[in-house]
Amino acid sequence: MNETLIDGSELKNSAVEAWKADGGKVVGTICCHVPEEIIHAAGMLPYRLRATGVTETSEGDAWMSPFTCSYARGCLQYLIDGTFAFIDGLVASDGCLMAGRIYDNWKYVDINKDKEEIFFQQIAAPRTFTPKSIEYYREHLETLRQGLEVWGGVKITEEKLRASVQLYNETRRLIRELYELSKSDTPVLSGEERLRIILAASSTPKEKFNEQLRAFLATAGSRKPVAAGRARIMLVGSALDDPEYIRIIEEKGGLVVTDALCFGTRYLWEPVEPEEGDALTAIAKSYLGRPVCPRMVDLHNEFRDFMIGMAKDYRVDGIIYSRVKYCEVWGGEGLYFNEQLQEENIPQILLEREEIMTSSGQLAVRAEAFIEMIEKQVGGKIHE
Amino acid sequence: MSEHLIGTISNQVDSIIKHAEKKYPEQMWMFDVQKASWDAVYHAHDEGKRLIYVGACAPVELIYAFDCVPFVLDMIPTRLASTPDVAAKYIDLAEQYIAPTMCGIDKVDIGAILSGDMPDKPDAFIYSTVPCDNSRTAYPFIAERLGCPSYCMDAPFSKSERGYRYMAEQYKEIITFLEKLTGTKLDWDKFREIMIISNKTNELMNKIADLRKIIPCPLPGRLLVLNEMIPGMTGHPAMLAYLEAQYELGQKLASEGVGAVKKENYRVSWLQNMLWSNVGILDWMERQFGAILVMDAFGYQRGHLFTDLDDLDTVCIDLAKKGLALPMIHGAAGPVEDYIDLVENTMADYKANVSMFIGHVGCKHTWAAAKIITDLIQEKFGIPTLYLDVDATDGRYKKTDEIKAIITEYMETIAGYKESAAN
Repeated sequence: MNETLIDGSELKNSAVEAWKADGGKVVGTICCHVPEEIIHAAGMLPYRLRATGVTETSEGDAWMSPFTCSYARGCLQYLIDGTFAFIDGLVASDGCLMAGRIYDNWKYVDINKDKEEIFFQQIAAPRTFTPKSIEYYREHLETLRQGLEVWGGVKITEEKLRASVQLYNETRRLIRELYELSKSDTPVLSGEERLRIILAASSTPKEKFNEQLRAFLATAGSRKPVAAGRARIMLVGSALDDPEYIRIIEEKGGLVVTDALCFGTRYLWEPVEPEEGDALTAIAKSYLGRPVCPRMVDLHNEFRDFMIGMAKDYRVDGIIYSRVKYCEVWGGEGLYFNEQLQEENIPQILLEREEIMTSSGQLAVRAEAFIEMIEKQVGGKIHE
Repeated sequence: MSEHLIGTISNQVDSIIKHAEKKYPEQMWMFDVQKASWDAVYHAHDEGKRLIYVGACAPVELIYAFDCVPFVLDMIPTRLASTPDVAAKYIDLAEQYIAPTMCGIDKVDIGAILSGDMPDKPDAFIYSTVPCDNSRTAYPFIAERLGCPSYCMDAPFSKSERGYRYMAEQYKEIITFLEKLTGTKLDWDKFREIMIISNKTNELMNKIADLRKIIPCPLPGRLLVLNEMIPGMTGHPAMLAYLEAQYELGQKLASEGVGAVKKENYRVSWLQNMLWSNVGILDWMERQFGAILVMDAFGYQRGHLFTDLDDLDTVCIDLAKKGLALPMIHGAAGPVEDYIDLVENTMADYKANVSMFIGHVGCKHTWAAAKIITDLIQEKFGIPTLYLDVDATDGRYKKTDEIKAIITEYMETIAGYKESAAN
């Protein structure tokens, strides 16, 4: 795979280093309901926080207790232990309560005395999709715009916002094109590789990322197909930012061809329609209306329909519902889709996981058992 | 045909009342309000009234004004928590569909709906996007499963003027929703009467809360549990009668300098939910240590009043302020600063000298803020906090003896701390 794209998937990558070396500001974001376009239009680098590869969360545990989502604890751990020392600001939405607490706790952790310099802002992200909620969300986005303008000493004009929307829409188009590669019977890209590319998208300037992904896609056709999987798998569930997790599934014969993950298709997919009023209104409508995560109270069924639509489009043989322990947003989502999956005859397995990959052996065993079950059901005919 | 769940609870309350009439005739005011609450729900349809299930922030005064009966769905889990085997039936059923780590309150709600033990479907369900991620999963599912008309309010993230306006606009939509449901226009005169009762209720509630600040505290911890019924019955005459009796008792004891416990050694503050699965712990703390729960984060209520009974806009803003001041939306559903303020006020106003984080494991966002608030208590009040994980609705999680042992160990440590400080 393109080495620069792989590098971009690292937490501290060369693109971030170059950005900082040029005196640029990096703004960490928590949850995909923080529209990156606004930060980008301020001339800053939006960088979505994640816990990829975290191996211990003692600080996160101390602040958030063990009764909380380990992904959130991992993110907080990295904030506290200096892994994210390069960020100059932190913007969160109240995407889920755990995401909100990463932000809250980081404000109160007293080890980084330079925090007075850090830009902190939290915006509301409504949980219904109505004209009133769009308006309310838009107002919060306006507050974010103003906050960034004051902090950064910049003007975020309508023109700049529209340019950012255009750039991000191009990222979305390219990501969809990337996923198209997996529709083939003999995909040239593994699920693990695709996740690395999405992580790069969330951690590098989009101008560079788009250029790299475009170059990758131009030559992707000449790649050798990846090892044929015994089953085409779709991943759904809590935030999954660890390529290692997918690697284990794929080693056992599952080819992860698509997903409904916020570090996957649910990150940048549905375009912002620039003709929908001013840029902030268009952003508000798009970000709130996409079925991105079960956090939206009135979009559970839309989310389910998206999942099932994707499962059909990508001809998946089975769905792995991967839920982080203590993730309440995903904790009950099966209520909304289990029945439908049964009706559609799509096999599903629920796997609970922790951000620290301590149970990779168990994952391997269960993934393999699921794949074997699928093979028996479909008679192994799909991937001959 | 066997009795449905609400009927069973209503009958249980009747049995308790029969027993209480003989044993505690002077305390019947505590039981009358419970009977009024459950009877109203149980007999709503028999009496030709519409039954409306409600979640947090639902405008009960408006529902009463439309001559409907509101029923706070979460009353089921908090009520059943004291009978662990019954609660367990619904929890276990729900866990077949949802994560076992989810909140027991929502597990009981979901289990009760899935079991088919609930009565005929209600006429409507009005709920909101608070208090937490658990309810955001549970309530829309319940709405869908009930198959009745429903309205979901999106609660604002912060309690700002803009946030109140956002909520107020939705309360106006609820009026339209109720008008369509009932086929009648809102009778403002009737609504005004209910708002007057509501204001009296909240005034009394605030006065009772103030009584608890007195040393010694004249009212027992258990009444904090019963007071949790207030938001679901604000505007109901039976609630007003209950609070009048409670206030009268508290005032009398306070004027005599009498406390709810013989010798008040400790004034305890609980920082998270109520332990519905083991409320007897409160009585035991009072007997064992002279430790009275003066206030808990869940029970902390400063009821907002209607400031104008005639202007729709102002009334809806007031409804928003009231809704967002309810437990635990007031402290735990938004930015952590709300929680900090709540805890700081509780500790300071009620002169607490013991701090306990009796943490319901389902309430993960409060656990995720526990260090922030307990550090603050240590720093500002010099009090180390006890952390104790419990399940507020599932008594199987931790047995009474275990809870008592942990609290005892802590209380002994605190006693030692106070002695050494005195030296």
